[in-house]
Amino acid sequence: MRSKSQTTLLRTVGLHAVLVPLALIWLFPIWMMIVFSTQPENAIFSSNLVLLPSDQFANNFALLQADTGFLRTVFVSIVVATVYTVVSVFLTSMAGWALARYNFAGKGVVLAIILGTLTLPYFVVVIPQFIMVARDFGLGNTWFALIVPPLFNSLGVLFMRQSFSMMPGELFDAARVEGVKEWQIFLRVALPMARPTIAALCIILFLASWNNYLWPLLINNRPDMMTAPVALGSLIGLTRVSWGGIMTGAVVLTLPMLFAFVVLQRHFVAGIAAGAIK
Amino acid sequence: MRATTRTAYGFLTPYLLIFAAFWVWPIIYSFYLSFLSTRVQPWTFNPTFNWGRLIIDPAFFNAFKNTMIILVIQVPVMIALATLLAVLLNSHLLKARGIMRFAFFAPVVVGEVAYAAVFRLMFQADFGVINKLLALVGVAPISWSSNPTAAMALIITAVTWRWVGYNAIIILSGLQSIPEDVYEAATLDKVSKTRQFFFITLPLLRPIILVCVVLSVIGTMQLFAEPFLITNRGGPGGATETLGLFLYRQGFTVLNFGYASAVAYTIAAIAIVISVINFWLGRDPK
Amino acid sequence: MRPTLGCASLALVLGMTGGALAQSGEITIWSWDVAASSLQSTIEGFNAQYPDVTVTVEDLGNQQVFDRTLAGCAAGGSGLPDIISIENGEAEIFWNQFPDCFANLRDLGYTEEMASGFPDFKRTELEVGDVAYGMPWDSGPVAMFYRRDFYENAGVDPESITTWGDFIEAGQAIAEANPGVVMGQADFNGDTEWFRMLANEQGCGYFTGEGDAIAVNQPGCVAALEAVKEMADAGILVAGNWDERIQAIRAETVASQLFGGWYEGTIRSNAPEQEGLWGVYEMPSVTEDGPRAANLGGSALSITNTSDNKEAAWAYVNYTLGTNEGQVTMLRVFGLVPSLLSALDDPYVEEGQPFWGDQAIWVDILGTLDRVVPSRGTPFFGDAQAIIQATQTQYINGGFESAQAALDDAASQIALVTGLPIAE
Repeated sequence: MRSKSQTTLLRTVGLHAVLVPLALIWLFPIWMMIVFSTQPENAIFSSNLVLLPSDQFANNFALLQADTGFLRTVFVSIVVATVYTVVSVFLTSMAGWALARYNFAGKGVVLAIILGTLTLPYFVVVIPQFIMVARDFGLGNTWFALIVPPLFNSLGVLFMRQSFSMMPGELFDAARVEGVKEWQIFLRVALPMARPTIAALCIILFLASWNNYLWPLLINNRPDMMTAPVALGSLIGLTRVSWGGIMTGAVVLTLPMLFAFVVLQRHFVAGIAAGAIK
Repeated sequence: MRATTRTAYGFLTPYLLIFAAFWVWPIIYSFYLSFLSTRVQPWTFNPTFNWGRLIIDPAFFNAFKNTMIILVIQVPVMIALATLLAVLLNSHLLKARGIMRFAFFAPVVVGEVAYAAVFRLMFQADFGVINKLLALVGVAPISWSSNPTAAMALIITAVTWRWVGYNAIIILSGLQSIPEDVYEAATLDKVSKTRQFFFITLPLLRPIILVCVVLSVIGTMQLFAEPFLITNRGGPGGATETLGLFLYRQGFTVLNFGYASAVAYTIAAIAIVISVINFWLGRDPK
Repeated sequence: MRPTLGCASLALVLGMTGGALAQSGEITIWSWDVAASSLQSTIEGFNAQYPDVTVTVEDLGNQQVFDRTLAGCAAGGSGLPDIISIENGEAEIFWNQFPDCFANLRDLGYTEEMASGFPDFKRTELEVGDVAYGMPWDSGPVAMFYRRDFYENAGVDPESITTWGDFIEAGQAIAEANPGVVMGQADFNGDTEWFRMLANEQGCGYFTGEGDAIAVNQPGCVAALEAVKEMADAGILVAGNWDERIQAIRAETVASQLFGGWYEGTIRSNAPEQEGLWGVYEMPSVTEDGPRAANLGGSALSITNTSDNKEAAWAYVNYTLGTNEGQVTMLRVFGLVPSLLSALDDPYVEEGQPFWGDQAIWVDILGTLDRVVPSRGTPFFGDAQAIIQATQTQYINGGFESAQAALDDAASQIALVTGLPIAE
């Protein structure tokens, strides 16, 4: 008869025999992104197998910067993602608060609509959105166009609603008895209590805006109002830009997020898992 | 009561305004557009022009077929893999848990453009690292961008790489909400780990896996950046053109907004139908 | 030629004494690849006459200039630069969809007389009635660029290659004699340029010359598609997109490239160290003694209506495209073939080119120009292109019984999408 510890040992070995190779495969593209970004062009396009970094990152990045003004596009991306996140957190918190803590006429309808849009692909609205914002409003190439149309976000509302409805109601009632106004209860009592949820939401919203590609690609055609992903995407397939340069751009877009992920993993995971809350 | 309603809508108004302006109105306008002939200027009302074309357009059916191939192959493989990963990552026998989770979850934060660029370079036919690695084990170079089947395999690989961690996170959170004592009881009854997985874990995970499937279906229906950037606009010759890319092409390369609107509505309808079927198939049997 | 020249210089003199020198400000141009570089190369000469105009050329890549211009026009001109490079074949898409997006060059000083300095086949797609939306830039007489040493190693004399059948045989011999070298490359992933060149050679195109019917299933096109598949099947024509081909040239793994004359500058500027190793010969034909001339590409410059400095933009366009000085500069530096007829008389054209083993390549390439059958882009080029691309991929991968069946299918698809009839 096999002892219990033997079984456990076998299981442990088996587990790692499956997971370790898979993990290496999964890390490989990110590793190669870093490797490519540090290699000179002739090393990337040589017949040698190159799997280790070199020292050309600064050179490659200089090529990218000279070619597209990449730092400007990173600046645009940071501004857009930050403003978007702050505004969106407010909008979704307010809406989530209303849906969590009040009984009002039409609540069921509003909730149903929000849930319904979850199954609606964004592509349904992208063309009329473009026509409206770019042609009818003449707002192509503006901060408004980059930030405002994507603000509608049903997941955020549901996430915040969930968080607010789990809070003890007595707390808010007590405040009401003392004559505190509703919006003050929201700002001073509810929001601070929802801090962990808000942190998770911030991360998810920032990441979504930071990586957003289709809408900024359509709505902006002027180089000084391009976001970094759009600028980078526009280089793929061009000859004059080095692939090493493109890879430095990819690294610049990715590494800060990976770093944030490592530090804030708990919030990331909470935010993503919230996608399944229905 | 009226005061409450007023307060509630006070909180909801900014959000609902954005919704009305950037979703409700576009959806209505798009419906109207789908009945216009926007092929040449000026636009004219012609109810059957776009819809009539859609039902016989081979290019649309090609995009539909490609999307369905991804849906039928990629989504199940990815969800199965995500479930497996979630279970393995949840095991208390796992060493270096943080690094392991990082490996699979990290792609979640990598943007579409960044990973598309890396994949395009890795799978380059002549000098790509994948073909060089394949050569080490004696596999002849594969022309990832000019062979239709290989190009499709590449898209499926890329999307799976990017999204499996995302789904694993969701499933893992579901897994962690299953109380330990369920398993303890089963272990006492000498139920094997494998049977525990199939008869306890999977049924309990059913709702959450269903959500993952529905999210993946919606994602697949609007798959765009990967075939746009990795296989160079759905190449070779439309072999990886998805519905999302087809819509982009009609809308923004040929600038046929009316037809693109009809396509958009069709994509939404397909997504909703598939989601409903999923929920119906996956409903609680009791 | 003389009157045109006289007029141009007279206008120049008048301009100098009048308001032209007062032109100032910044103008921005969207262009791609070598075309962008060549626009860059004329700035110096332009600034000698107009020192106060700052010209910025942005190289966005061919597809993106097209995409972003369309999106910009759809948005009422938002974000567009002052000048845009437009390919002749795609030009009518713009005028058709957005007649107000571009300035009428007639209003800016582009007279009928100046326009008559360009060949008709360049003008048809750029002018609608009295409105001139674009000024012709370069044309793309097709040539076979080849590596002399690779051919010699295999004992192949390019003069002996007169049919695509010969080309296949030569290709197999060359691949054998030069390990790791392939005969030619085609963009089977993202384009149909080989098919279009061969079809044009055979007098066929997507549409008829008037642009009012679909012609892609006519015998010339069928023969062209068959020839492309034969080459692909024989393994002498392999897939390679724009950048992969340049990499192959640099890495010395390709023996020939078939393209419009404008590719000369791309080869020369990307592989300067291969000086003397390259040469040029006429494209082979489908049949013995068949036609051996075609055109691929060629572009125009247009000025946007939203430009707030149209006069300065016109001054630049006119200098670059309307003077021999501008046009020959671009030919010298980047091999862009002038469509301004008077520029073809420039002595530079007659010179042997060191990079090309002292061959007088421009005499050879330009010599084919008057044999080129004009081919119309039409407003439906984009639609047709996507369909032909898919058809080509399927056909090459064995999805159709014959080239005729493939192109019949393509023609009916194009008819569905465009509403045009299929030509008899």
